[in-house]
Amino acid sequence: MSKAGITTTVPVEVIFAAGWVPVDLNNVFITGENPRVMVEEAELAGFPRNICAWIKGIYSTVIKNRDIRTIIAVTQGDCSNTHALMEILQMAGVEVVPFAFPYDRDPDLLRLQLEKMMSSFGVSWKTVQEAKDRLDRVRRKVWELDRLTWEEDRVGGWENHLYQISSSDFNGEPEKFAVEVDDLLEKARAAPPREGELRLGYIGVPPIVAELYPYLEERGARIVYNEVQRQFTMPFMTRDLVEQYRLYTYPYGIFFRLEDICREVARRKLDGIIHYAQSFCYRQIEDIIVRKKLDLPVLTLEGDIPSKLDARTRMRLDVFLDMLR
Amino acid sequence: MFAGIDLGSRSVKIALMEKDRPPRLQKYDTMEFYRAHGKKVSGKFMLDVAGTGLPGAGAGITATGYGRHSVKVRGARVIPEIKAHMLGAIHLTSLADFTLLDLGGQDSKVALVRGGRMVDFMTNDKCAASTGRYLENMAAALNISLVELSRHYRSPVELASTCAIFGESELIGKVVEGYSIPALAAGVNHSIFKRILPMLNRLISKTIVFTGGVAYSEALRLIIAEKTGAQVVVPENPEYAGAIGCCVEAMR
Repeated sequence: MSKAGITTTVPVEVIFAAGWVPVDLNNVFITGENPRVMVEEAELAGFPRNICAWIKGIYSTVIKNRDIRTIIAVTQGDCSNTHALMEILQMAGVEVVPFAFPYDRDPDLLRLQLEKMMSSFGVSWKTVQEAKDRLDRVRRKVWELDRLTWEEDRVGGWENHLYQISSSDFNGEPEKFAVEVDDLLEKARAAPPREGELRLGYIGVPPIVAELYPYLEERGARIVYNEVQRQFTMPFMTRDLVEQYRLYTYPYGIFFRLEDICREVARRKLDGIIHYAQSFCYRQIEDIIVRKKLDLPVLTLEGDIPSKLDARTRMRLDVFLDMLR
Repeated sequence: MFAGIDLGSRSVKIALMEKDRPPRLQKYDTMEFYRAHGKKVSGKFMLDVAGTGLPGAGAGITATGYGRHSVKVRGARVIPEIKAHMLGAIHLTSLADFTLLDLGGQDSKVALVRGGRMVDFMTNDKCAASTGRYLENMAAALNISLVELSRHYRSPVELASTCAIFGESELIGKVVEGYSIPALAAGVNHSIFKRILPMLNRLISKTIVFTGGVAYSEALRLIIAEKTGAQVVVPENPEYAGAIGCCVEAMR
Protein backbone atom coordinates (compact mmCIF):
# COMPACT_ATOMS: atom_id res chain seq x y z
CA MET A 1 0.00 0.00 0.00
CA SER A 2 1.21 3.53 -0.75
CA LYS A 3 2.26 5.68 2.17
CA ALA A 4 1.37 9.34 2.68
CA GLY A 5 3.62 11.24 5.07
CA ILE A 6 1.96 13.78 7.36
CA THR A 7 3.75 16.51 9.33
CA THR A 8 0.79 17.22 11.60
CA THR A 9 -2.74 15.91 11.95
CA VAL A 10 -4.72 16.21 8.72
CA PRO A 11 -8.03 14.56 7.73
CA VAL A 12 -6.60 11.03 7.66
CA GLU A 13 -10.07 9.74 6.75
CA VAL A 14 -9.29 10.79 3.16
CA ILE A 15 -5.99 8.87 3.15
CA PHE A 16 -7.52 5.71 4.61
CA ALA A 17 -10.49 5.96 2.21
CA ALA A 18 -8.04 5.89 -0.69
CA GLY A 19 -6.50 2.69 0.66
CA TRP A 20 -3.28 4.55 1.48
CA VAL A 21 -1.42 4.41 4.80
CA PRO A 22 -0.79 7.67 6.64
CA VAL A 23 2.57 7.97 8.37
CA ASP A 24 3.01 10.63 11.04
CA LEU A 25 6.59 11.66 10.34
CA ASN A 26 7.01 13.16 13.83
CA ASN A 27 6.41 9.75 15.38
CA VAL A 28 8.78 7.97 13.01
CA PHE A 29 11.48 10.54 13.75
CA ILE A 30 11.19 10.61 17.52
CA THR A 31 10.78 6.85 18.04
CA GLY A 32 13.64 6.06 15.66
CA GLU A 33 16.93 4.61 16.81
CA ASN A 34 18.80 7.87 17.12
CA PRO A 35 16.66 10.97 16.63
CA ARG A 36 19.51 13.23 17.60
CA VAL A 37 21.59 12.03 14.64
CA MET A 38 18.62 12.82 12.37
CA VAL A 39 18.73 16.42 13.56
CA GLU A 40 22.47 16.60 13.00
CA GLU A 41 22.14 15.19 9.50
CA ALA A 42 19.68 17.94 8.58
CA GLU A 43 22.13 20.51 9.91
CA LEU A 44 24.86 18.97 7.77
CA ALA A 45 22.49 19.36 4.80
CA GLY A 46 22.32 23.08 5.60
CA PHE A 47 19.39 23.54 8.00
CA PRO A 48 20.17 26.40 10.40
CA ARG A 49 21.11 25.63 13.99
CA ASN A 50 18.37 27.95 15.26
CA ILE A 51 15.41 26.16 13.66
CA CYS A 52 12.98 23.77 15.33
CA ALA A 53 14.42 20.26 15.74
CA TRP A 54 11.13 18.65 14.66
CA ILE A 55 11.48 20.21 11.20
CA LYS A 56 15.03 18.89 10.90
CA GLY A 57 14.04 15.46 12.17
CA ILE A 58 11.18 15.21 9.67
CA TYR A 59 13.47 16.24 6.84
CA SER A 60 15.97 13.46 7.58
CA THR A 61 13.15 10.96 8.13
CA VAL A 62 11.74 11.58 4.66
CA ILE A 63 15.16 11.53 3.01
CA LYS A 64 15.92 8.16 4.65
CA ASN A 65 12.50 6.50 4.13
CA ARG A 66 12.43 6.10 0.36
CA ASP A 67 8.96 4.48 0.50
CA ILE A 68 7.33 7.77 1.50
CA ARG A 69 7.10 9.74 -1.74
CA THR A 70 3.91 11.71 -1.06
CA ILE A 71 3.43 14.20 1.75
CA ILE A 72 0.45 16.24 2.87
CA ALA A 73 1.67 19.77 3.39
CA VAL A 74 -0.29 21.84 5.88
CA THR A 75 0.04 25.28 4.37
CA GLN A 76 -2.13 27.04 6.93
CA GLY A 77 -2.60 26.06 10.56
CA ASP A 78 1.02 25.13 11.03
CA CYS A 79 4.28 27.07 10.89
CA SER A 80 6.16 28.72 8.06
CA ASN A 81 9.11 26.42 8.71
CA THR A 82 6.87 23.62 7.43
CA HIS A 83 6.41 25.56 4.18
CA ALA A 84 10.14 25.74 3.61
CA LEU A 85 10.50 22.08 4.57
CA MET A 86 7.95 21.14 1.91
CA GLU A 87 9.80 23.17 -0.68
CA ILE A 88 13.08 21.42 0.17
CA LEU A 89 11.37 18.03 -0.03
CA GLN A 90 9.70 18.97 -3.31
CA MET A 91 13.15 19.66 -4.68
CA ALA A 92 14.18 16.19 -3.52
CA GLY A 93 11.41 14.71 -5.70
CA VAL A 94 8.67 14.24 -3.10
CA GLU A 95 5.08 14.86 -4.23
CA VAL A 96 3.38 17.48 -2.06
CA VAL A 97 -0.40 17.66 -1.54
CA PRO A 98 -1.32 21.00 0.07
CA PHE A 99 -3.95 21.33 2.78
CA ALA A 100 -4.98 24.51 4.60
CA PHE A 101 -6.94 24.86 7.83
CA PRO A 102 -8.72 28.22 7.34
CA TYR A 103 -7.60 30.71 9.99
CA ASP A 104 -11.14 31.73 10.96
CA ARG A 105 -12.47 28.13 10.93
CA ASP A 106 -14.73 28.99 8.02
CA PRO A 107 -16.76 25.83 7.23
CA ASP A 108 -17.11 26.53 3.48
CA LEU A 109 -13.37 27.03 3.02
CA LEU A 110 -12.64 23.94 5.07
CA ARG A 111 -15.07 21.87 2.99
CA LEU A 112 -13.36 23.12 -0.16
CA GLN A 113 -9.97 22.08 1.22
CA LEU A 114 -11.29 18.65 2.09
CA GLU A 115 -12.77 18.22 -1.36
CA LYS A 116 -9.50 19.25 -3.00
CA MET A 117 -7.65 16.68 -0.93
CA MET A 118 -10.30 14.08 -1.79
CA SER A 119 -9.89 14.72 -5.50
CA SER A 120 -6.08 14.35 -5.18
CA PHE A 121 -6.64 10.92 -3.67
CA GLY A 122 -9.59 10.11 -5.97
CA VAL A 123 -12.15 9.37 -3.24
CA SER A 124 -15.82 10.28 -2.70
CA TRP A 125 -17.69 11.64 0.33
CA LYS A 126 -19.26 8.22 0.78
CA THR A 127 -15.97 6.35 1.19
CA VAL A 128 -14.54 9.11 3.34
CA GLN A 129 -17.58 8.89 5.63
CA GLU A 130 -17.05 5.13 5.86
CA ALA A 131 -13.42 5.71 6.80
CA LYS A 132 -14.58 8.17 9.48
CA ASP A 133 -16.94 5.58 10.96
CA ARG A 134 -14.10 3.05 10.97
CA LEU A 135 -11.69 5.46 12.72
CA ASP A 136 -14.29 6.75 15.17
CA ARG A 137 -14.70 3.22 16.52
CA VAL A 138 -10.99 3.27 17.41
CA ARG A 139 -11.08 6.84 18.68
CA ARG A 140 -13.83 5.99 21.15
CA LYS A 141 -11.49 3.51 22.80
CA VAL A 142 -8.80 6.17 23.15
CA TRP A 143 -11.35 8.61 24.60
CA GLU A 144 -12.10 5.99 27.22
CA LEU A 145 -8.39 5.68 27.97
CA ASP A 146 -8.28 9.43 28.50
CA ARG A 147 -11.33 9.31 30.78
CA LEU A 148 -9.72 6.55 32.84
CA THR A 149 -6.69 8.82 33.17
CA TRP A 150 -8.40 11.87 34.65
CA GLU A 151 -11.67 10.62 36.03
CA GLU A 152 -10.65 7.30 37.52
CA ASP A 153 -6.91 7.91 37.95
CA ARG A 154 -5.99 4.50 36.57
CA VAL A 155 -3.73 5.46 33.63
CA GLY A 156 -0.30 7.11 33.68
CA GLY A 157 0.59 10.32 31.87
CA TRP A 158 2.93 8.56 29.45
CA GLU A 159 0.35 6.03 28.24
CA ASN A 160 -2.17 8.84 27.92
CA HIS A 161 0.33 10.76 25.81
CA LEU A 162 1.43 7.80 23.68
CA TYR A 163 -1.96 6.43 22.66
CA GLN A 164 -3.50 9.81 22.02
CA ILE A 165 -0.56 11.03 19.96
CA SER A 166 -0.63 7.80 17.97
CA SER A 167 -4.21 8.64 16.96
CA SER A 168 -2.82 11.03 14.34
CA ASP A 169 -2.16 8.02 12.06
CA PHE A 170 -3.23 5.01 14.22
CA ASN A 171 0.27 3.62 13.48
CA GLY A 172 -1.06 2.99 9.97
CA GLU A 173 -3.22 0.06 11.11
CA PRO A 174 -6.33 1.21 13.02
CA GLU A 175 -7.65 -2.24 13.91
CA LYS A 176 -4.29 -3.49 15.21
CA PHE A 177 -3.94 -0.27 17.16
CA ALA A 178 -7.45 -0.79 18.61
CA VAL A 179 -6.40 -4.19 19.96
CA GLU A 180 -3.43 -2.58 21.72
CA VAL A 181 -5.71 0.04 23.24
CA ASP A 182 -8.16 -2.67 24.36
CA ASP A 183 -5.31 -4.47 26.14
CA LEU A 184 -4.32 -1.32 27.93
CA LEU A 185 -7.94 -0.53 28.86
CA GLU A 186 -8.32 -3.96 30.38
CA LYS A 187 -5.16 -3.54 32.45
CA ALA A 188 -6.15 -0.03 33.49
CA ARG A 189 -9.61 -1.05 34.67
CA ALA A 190 -8.05 -3.75 36.85
CA ALA A 191 -5.47 -1.36 38.32
CA PRO A 192 -6.16 0.37 41.63
CA PRO A 193 -6.80 4.10 41.32
CA ARG A 194 -3.80 6.29 42.11
CA GLU A 195 -4.07 8.59 45.06
CA GLY A 196 -2.47 11.68 46.51
CA GLU A 197 -0.79 12.87 43.32
CA LEU A 198 -0.49 16.40 42.02
CA ARG A 199 -2.65 16.72 38.89
CA LEU A 200 -0.93 18.43 36.01
CA GLY A 201 -1.95 19.53 32.56
CA TYR A 202 0.47 19.54 29.64
CA ILE A 203 -0.25 22.04 26.90
CA GLY A 204 1.60 22.85 23.70
CA VAL A 205 3.23 20.65 21.11
CA PRO A 206 4.25 17.17 22.29
CA PRO A 207 7.57 17.11 24.17
CA ILE A 208 10.80 16.21 22.40
CA VAL A 209 11.96 14.76 25.74
CA ALA A 210 9.89 11.71 26.69
CA GLU A 211 11.55 11.38 30.11
CA LEU A 212 9.27 14.16 31.36
CA TYR A 213 6.42 11.78 32.21
CA PRO A 214 8.31 9.24 34.37
CA TYR A 215 10.31 12.04 35.98
CA LEU A 216 7.11 13.72 37.20
CA GLU A 217 5.51 10.47 38.34
CA GLU A 218 8.59 9.52 40.36
CA ARG A 219 7.98 12.79 42.19
CA GLY A 220 4.30 12.24 42.88
CA ALA A 221 2.83 14.28 40.05
CA ARG A 222 0.92 12.94 37.06
CA ILE A 223 -0.10 14.56 33.81
CA VAL A 224 -3.82 13.92 33.50
CA TYR A 225 -4.36 16.22 30.54
CA ASN A 226 -2.30 16.17 27.35
CA GLU A 227 -3.85 18.99 25.37
CA VAL A 228 -2.63 18.60 21.79
CA GLN A 229 -2.28 14.83 21.99
CA ARG A 230 -5.95 14.66 23.03
CA GLN A 231 -6.88 16.85 20.09
CA PHE A 232 -5.35 14.23 17.79
CA THR A 233 -8.14 11.88 18.93
CA MET A 234 -10.83 14.28 17.63
CA PRO A 235 -12.46 14.36 21.07
CA PHE A 236 -15.65 16.17 20.04
CA MET A 237 -18.15 13.64 18.74
CA THR A 238 -19.80 14.70 15.52
CA ARG A 239 -21.02 12.87 12.42
CA ASP A 240 -19.95 15.73 10.18
CA LEU A 241 -16.34 15.56 8.99
CA VAL A 242 -16.12 19.30 8.26
CA GLU A 243 -17.40 20.06 11.74
CA GLN A 244 -14.94 17.57 13.22
CA TYR A 245 -11.97 19.45 11.77
CA ARG A 246 -13.49 22.78 12.80
CA LEU A 247 -13.77 21.64 16.42
CA TYR A 248 -10.24 20.25 16.36
CA THR A 249 -8.36 23.11 18.05
CA TYR A 250 -4.67 22.69 17.26
CA PRO A 251 -4.38 24.41 13.84
CA TYR A 252 -6.41 27.43 14.89
CA GLY A 253 -5.58 30.47 17.04
CA ILE A 254 -4.47 30.40 20.66
CA PHE A 255 -7.77 31.86 21.93
CA PHE A 256 -9.77 28.97 20.48
CA ARG A 257 -7.29 26.52 22.00
CA LEU A 258 -7.56 28.28 25.36
CA GLU A 259 -11.33 27.76 25.44
CA ASP A 260 -10.69 24.03 25.33
CA ILE A 261 -7.81 24.26 27.83
CA CYS A 262 -9.87 26.25 30.38
CA ARG A 263 -12.74 23.76 30.12
CA GLU A 264 -10.41 20.84 30.79
CA VAL A 265 -8.54 22.61 33.61
CA ALA A 266 -11.83 22.87 35.49
CA ARG A 267 -13.21 19.47 34.54
CA ARG A 268 -10.00 17.60 35.39
CA LYS A 269 -9.33 19.64 38.56
CA LEU A 270 -5.76 20.50 37.66
CA ASP A 271 -3.23 21.86 40.17
CA GLY A 272 -0.90 23.33 37.58
CA ILE A 273 -0.04 23.53 33.88
CA ILE A 274 3.16 22.81 32.04
CA HIS A 275 3.30 24.84 28.85
CA TYR A 276 5.85 23.30 26.54
CA ALA A 277 7.23 25.28 23.64
CA GLN A 278 9.85 24.12 21.20
CA SER A 279 12.99 26.23 20.94
CA PHE A 280 12.74 28.76 18.07
CA CYS A 281 8.96 28.16 17.68
CA TYR A 282 6.56 31.07 17.18
CA ARG A 283 4.39 29.47 19.85
CA GLN A 284 6.89 30.69 22.44
CA ILE A 285 5.38 34.14 21.87
CA GLU A 286 1.91 32.77 22.65
CA ASP A 287 3.19 31.86 26.11
CA ILE A 288 2.53 35.49 27.06
CA ILE A 289 -1.18 35.00 26.30
CA VAL A 290 -1.31 31.58 27.97
CA ARG A 291 0.09 33.01 31.21
CA LYS A 292 -2.33 35.94 31.14
CA LYS A 293 -5.41 33.86 30.45
CA LEU A 294 -4.88 30.92 32.78
CA ASP A 295 -5.39 31.52 36.47
CA LEU A 296 -3.51 28.52 37.81
CA PRO A 297 0.28 28.15 38.13
CA VAL A 298 2.02 27.73 34.77
CA LEU A 299 5.55 26.42 34.21
CA THR A 300 6.90 27.13 30.75
CA LEU A 301 9.34 24.53 29.48
CA GLU A 302 11.50 24.81 26.43
CA GLY A 303 12.90 21.81 24.58
CA ASP A 304 15.43 21.86 21.79
CA ILE A 305 17.01 18.59 20.66
CA PRO A 306 15.91 15.05 21.56
CA SER A 307 17.79 14.17 24.74
CA LYS A 308 17.34 13.42 28.41
CA LEU A 309 15.93 16.08 30.72
CA ASP A 310 18.77 18.49 31.40
CA ALA A 311 19.74 19.65 34.89
CA ARG A 312 18.06 23.05 34.47
CA THR A 313 14.73 21.56 33.41
CA ARG A 314 14.85 19.08 36.31
CA MET A 315 15.50 21.91 38.72
CA ARG A 316 12.61 23.93 37.32
CA LEU A 317 10.25 20.93 37.51
CA ASP A 318 11.31 20.20 41.11
CA VAL A 319 10.64 23.77 42.17
CA PHE A 320 7.32 23.86 40.37
CA LEU A 321 6.08 20.71 42.13
CA ASP A 322 7.40 22.02 45.41
CA MET A 323 5.53 25.27 44.88
CA LEU A 324 2.25 23.48 44.06
CA ARG A 325 2.41 21.49 47.30
CA MET B 1 24.78 21.01 64.06
CA PHE B 2 23.32 21.34 60.57
CA ALA B 3 25.30 21.39 57.37
CA GLY B 4 24.16 22.88 54.08
CA ILE B 5 26.05 22.42 50.84
CA ASP B 6 25.37 24.32 47.62
CA LEU B 7 27.00 22.63 44.61
CA GLY B 8 27.28 25.60 42.30
CA SER B 9 28.71 25.68 38.81
CA ARG B 10 31.65 27.89 39.85
CA SER B 11 32.03 27.24 43.57
CA VAL B 12 30.82 24.93 46.28
CA LYS B 13 29.47 26.79 49.30
CA ILE B 14 29.15 25.16 52.71
CA ALA B 15 27.33 26.51 55.75
CA LEU B 16 27.45 24.98 59.23
CA MET B 17 24.75 26.17 61.58
CA GLU B 18 23.56 25.69 65.10
CA LYS B 19 20.44 27.33 66.48
CA ASP B 20 20.95 30.96 67.60
CA ARG B 21 24.53 31.11 66.37
CA PRO B 22 25.95 32.83 63.32
CA PRO B 23 26.74 30.31 60.57
CA ARG B 24 30.25 29.17 59.73
CA LEU B 25 30.86 29.53 56.03
CA GLN B 26 33.36 28.00 53.61
CA LYS B 27 33.82 28.18 49.88
CA TYR B 28 35.71 25.94 47.43
CA ASP B 29 36.36 26.06 43.71
CA THR B 30 33.91 23.52 42.22
CA MET B 31 36.48 21.62 40.16
CA GLU B 32 39.02 21.48 42.99
CA PHE B 33 36.35 20.36 45.42
CA TYR B 34 35.15 17.58 43.14
CA ARG B 35 38.74 16.42 42.56
CA ALA B 36 39.59 16.43 46.27
CA HIS B 37 36.43 14.91 47.68
CA GLY B 38 34.77 13.01 44.83
CA LYS B 39 35.17 9.47 43.56
CA LYS B 40 33.23 7.01 41.47
CA VAL B 41 31.30 4.47 43.51
CA SER B 42 29.53 1.79 41.45
CA GLY B 43 29.31 4.03 38.42
CA LYS B 44 28.07 7.10 40.29
CA PHE B 45 30.08 10.15 41.27
CA MET B 46 29.97 10.42 45.06
CA LEU B 47 31.16 13.28 47.19
CA ASP B 48 32.52 12.32 50.55
CA VAL B 49 32.57 15.43 52.64
CA ALA B 50 34.56 14.09 55.56
CA GLY B 51 37.63 16.28 55.84
CA THR B 52 35.89 19.45 54.70
CA GLY B 53 34.76 20.49 58.14
CA LEU B 54 31.30 19.06 57.66
CA PRO B 55 30.08 16.90 60.51
CA GLY B 56 30.29 13.09 60.56
CA ALA B 57 30.03 10.95 57.47
CA GLY B 58 27.25 13.00 56.05
CA ALA B 59 24.68 12.86 58.82
CA GLY B 60 22.53 15.99 58.82
CA ILE B 61 23.71 17.27 55.46
CA THR B 62 21.25 19.01 53.14
CA ALA B 63 22.44 19.66 49.60
CA THR B 64 21.31 21.81 46.71
CA GLY B 65 22.73 23.34 43.57
CA TYR B 66 23.34 22.68 39.93
CA GLY B 67 25.29 19.49 40.60
CA ARG B 68 22.73 17.88 42.84
CA HIS B 69 21.34 15.48 40.23
CA SER B 70 24.65 14.37 38.75
CA VAL B 71 26.63 14.28 41.99
CA LYS B 72 25.53 12.29 44.99
CA VAL B 73 26.57 13.63 48.34
CA ARG B 74 26.90 10.70 50.68
CA GLY B 75 24.03 10.67 53.13
CA ALA B 76 22.66 14.05 52.09
CA ARG B 77 19.09 15.10 51.60
CA VAL B 78 18.56 17.13 48.41
CA ILE B 79 16.33 20.17 47.91
CA PRO B 80 15.80 22.38 44.80
CA GLU B 81 17.95 25.50 44.47
CA ILE B 82 15.21 28.10 44.34
CA LYS B 83 13.71 26.77 47.53
CA ALA B 84 17.11 26.79 49.23
CA HIS B 85 17.81 30.35 48.12
CA MET B 86 14.39 31.51 49.22
CA LEU B 87 14.76 29.96 52.68
CA GLY B 88 18.24 31.44 52.96
CA ALA B 89 16.97 34.86 51.92
CA ILE B 90 14.15 34.75 54.47
CA HIS B 91 16.57 33.68 57.19
CA LEU B 92 19.13 36.36 56.34
CA THR B 93 16.69 39.27 55.94
CA SER B 94 13.75 38.29 58.20
CA LEU B 95 11.48 39.42 55.35
CA ALA B 96 8.38 37.48 54.28
CA ASP B 97 7.14 39.43 51.24
CA PHE B 98 9.67 40.15 48.53
CA THR B 99 10.98 39.30 45.10
CA LEU B 100 14.03 37.09 45.24
CA LEU B 101 16.66 37.73 42.60
CA ASP B 102 19.46 35.20 42.61
CA LEU B 103 22.26 35.59 40.09
CA GLY B 104 24.79 32.79 40.28
CA GLY B 105 27.54 31.30 38.16
CA GLN B 106 25.26 30.23 35.33
CA ASP B 107 21.75 30.68 36.70
CA SER B 108 19.45 33.62 37.00
CA LYS B 109 16.40 33.03 39.14
CA VAL B 110 13.52 35.25 40.15
CA ALA B 111 10.93 34.13 42.71
CA LEU B 112 7.93 35.87 44.15
CA VAL B 113 7.68 35.30 47.91
CA ARG B 114 4.51 36.10 49.84
CA GLY B 115 4.00 35.30 53.51
CA GLY B 116 7.25 33.31 53.51
CA ARG B 117 6.07 31.03 50.66
CA MET B 118 7.07 30.96 47.03
CA VAL B 119 4.06 31.73 44.83
CA ASP B 120 5.72 31.99 41.42
CA PHE B 121 9.17 31.80 39.88
CA MET B 122 11.10 32.16 36.64
CA THR B 123 14.60 31.17 35.64
CA ASN B 124 16.83 31.59 32.64
CA ASP B 125 16.44 28.59 30.42
CA LYS B 126 18.67 27.89 27.45
CA CYS B 127 21.03 30.82 27.86
CA ALA B 128 23.48 31.89 30.55
CA ALA B 129 24.09 35.42 29.31
CA SER B 130 22.78 37.05 32.48
CA THR B 131 24.95 35.38 35.06
CA GLY B 132 28.24 35.51 36.91
CA ARG B 133 30.05 33.60 34.21
CA TYR B 134 29.20 36.34 31.76
CA LEU B 135 30.64 38.96 34.13
CA GLU B 136 33.82 36.91 34.55
CA ASN B 137 34.26 36.63 30.79
CA MET B 138 33.63 40.32 30.27
CA ALA B 139 36.04 41.33 33.07
CA ALA B 140 38.67 39.09 31.47
CA ALA B 141 38.01 40.65 28.06
CA LEU B 142 38.50 44.10 29.58
CA ASN B 143 41.51 42.88 31.57
CA ILE B 144 40.07 44.21 34.85
CA SER B 145 39.03 42.51 38.10
CA LEU B 146 35.43 41.67 38.99
CA VAL B 147 35.68 44.22 41.80
CA GLU B 148 36.66 46.92 39.32
CA LEU B 149 33.90 45.84 36.92
CA SER B 150 31.33 46.13 39.69
CA ARG B 151 32.16 49.80 40.38
CA HIS B 152 30.79 51.28 37.18
CA TYR B 153 27.24 52.07 36.21
CA ARG B 154 27.27 55.62 34.79
CA SER B 155 27.31 56.49 31.04
CA PRO B 156 27.07 52.88 29.83
CA VAL B 157 28.11 51.88 26.33
CA GLU B 158 25.19 50.22 24.53
CA LEU B 159 25.86 46.49 24.09
CA ALA B 160 23.33 44.82 21.81
CA SER B 161 24.34 41.16 21.53
CA THR B 162 21.97 38.67 23.09
CA CYS B 163 24.69 36.02 23.24
CA ALA B 164 27.38 36.09 25.94
CA ILE B 165 30.05 34.93 23.52
CA PHE B 166 29.19 37.41 20.77
CA GLY B 167 28.91 40.01 23.54
CA GLU B 168 32.58 39.52 24.19
CA SER B 169 33.58 40.23 20.60
CA GLU B 170 31.21 43.20 20.55
CA LEU B 171 32.94 44.52 23.67
CA ILE B 172 36.36 44.15 22.08
CA GLY B 173 35.01 46.09 19.09
CA LYS B 174 33.97 48.91 21.43
CA VAL B 175 37.44 48.92 23.04
CA VAL B 176 38.90 49.47 19.59
CA GLU B 177 36.45 52.34 19.02
CA GLY B 178 38.07 54.05 21.99
CA TYR B 179 35.43 53.89 24.74
CA SER B 180 36.75 54.21 28.31
CA ILE B 181 36.93 51.21 30.64
CA PRO B 182 34.34 52.73 33.06
CA ALA B 183 31.85 53.23 30.20
CA LEU B 184 32.45 49.69 28.93
CA ALA B 185 32.14 48.20 32.42
CA ALA B 186 28.91 50.14 32.96
CA GLY B 187 27.67 48.78 29.60
CA VAL B 188 28.31 45.22 30.76
CA ASN B 189 26.42 45.80 34.02
CA HIS B 190 23.49 47.41 32.23
CA SER B 191 23.32 44.55 29.72
CA ILE B 192 22.91 42.02 32.56
CA PHE B 193 20.14 44.13 34.01
CA LYS B 194 18.33 44.28 30.66
CA ARG B 195 18.34 40.49 30.41
CA ILE B 196 16.84 39.95 33.85
CA LEU B 197 14.34 42.82 33.62
CA PRO B 198 11.61 40.83 31.79
CA MET B 199 11.65 38.25 34.61
CA LEU B 200 11.79 40.89 37.34
CA ASN B 201 8.95 42.86 35.75
CA ARG B 202 6.63 39.87 35.86
CA LEU B 203 7.31 39.10 39.52
CA ILE B 204 8.08 42.51 41.00
CA SER B 205 7.63 43.55 44.66
CA LYS B 206 8.42 46.69 46.63
CA THR B 207 11.48 44.87 47.98
CA ILE B 208 13.97 42.84 45.99
CA VAL B 209 16.28 40.53 47.94
CA PHE B 210 19.35 40.10 45.78
CA THR B 211 21.47 36.98 46.39
CA GLY B 212 24.13 34.88 44.64
CA GLY B 213 27.71 35.84 43.87
CA VAL B 214 26.64 38.60 41.47
CA ALA B 215 24.94 40.42 44.37
CA TYR B 216 28.41 41.58 45.43
CA SER B 217 28.26 43.96 42.46
CA GLU B 218 27.46 47.42 43.74
CA ALA B 219 26.83 48.66 40.23
CA LEU B 220 24.08 46.10 39.66
CA ARG B 221 22.48 46.85 43.02
CA LEU B 222 22.31 50.53 42.10
CA ILE B 223 21.05 49.89 38.56
CA ILE B 224 18.30 47.55 39.79
CA ALA B 225 17.18 50.00 42.49
CA GLU B 226 17.19 52.97 40.11
CA LYS B 227 15.43 51.27 37.20
CA THR B 228 12.79 49.31 39.13
CA GLY B 229 12.16 51.78 41.96
CA ALA B 230 12.24 48.86 44.39
CA GLN B 231 14.26 48.70 47.57
CA VAL B 232 17.16 46.32 46.93
CA VAL B 233 18.30 44.33 49.96
CA VAL B 234 21.56 42.41 49.73
CA PRO B 235 22.11 40.21 52.78
CA GLU B 236 25.53 39.67 54.24
CA ASN B 237 27.33 36.84 52.39
CA PRO B 238 24.74 36.77 49.58
CA GLU B 239 26.35 33.84 47.77
CA TYR B 240 25.78 31.59 50.79
CA ALA B 241 21.98 32.01 50.71
CA GLY B 242 21.55 28.54 49.14
CA ALA B 243 23.81 26.76 51.65
CA ILE B 244 22.21 28.61 54.56
CA GLY B 245 18.76 27.80 53.17
CA CYS B 246 19.70 24.11 53.24
CA CYS B 247 20.46 24.42 56.96
CA VAL B 248 17.18 26.27 57.53
CA GLU B 249 15.25 23.49 55.79
CA ALA B 250 17.03 20.88 57.94
CA MET B 251 16.22 22.82 61.12
CA ARG B 252 12.51 23.10 60.30
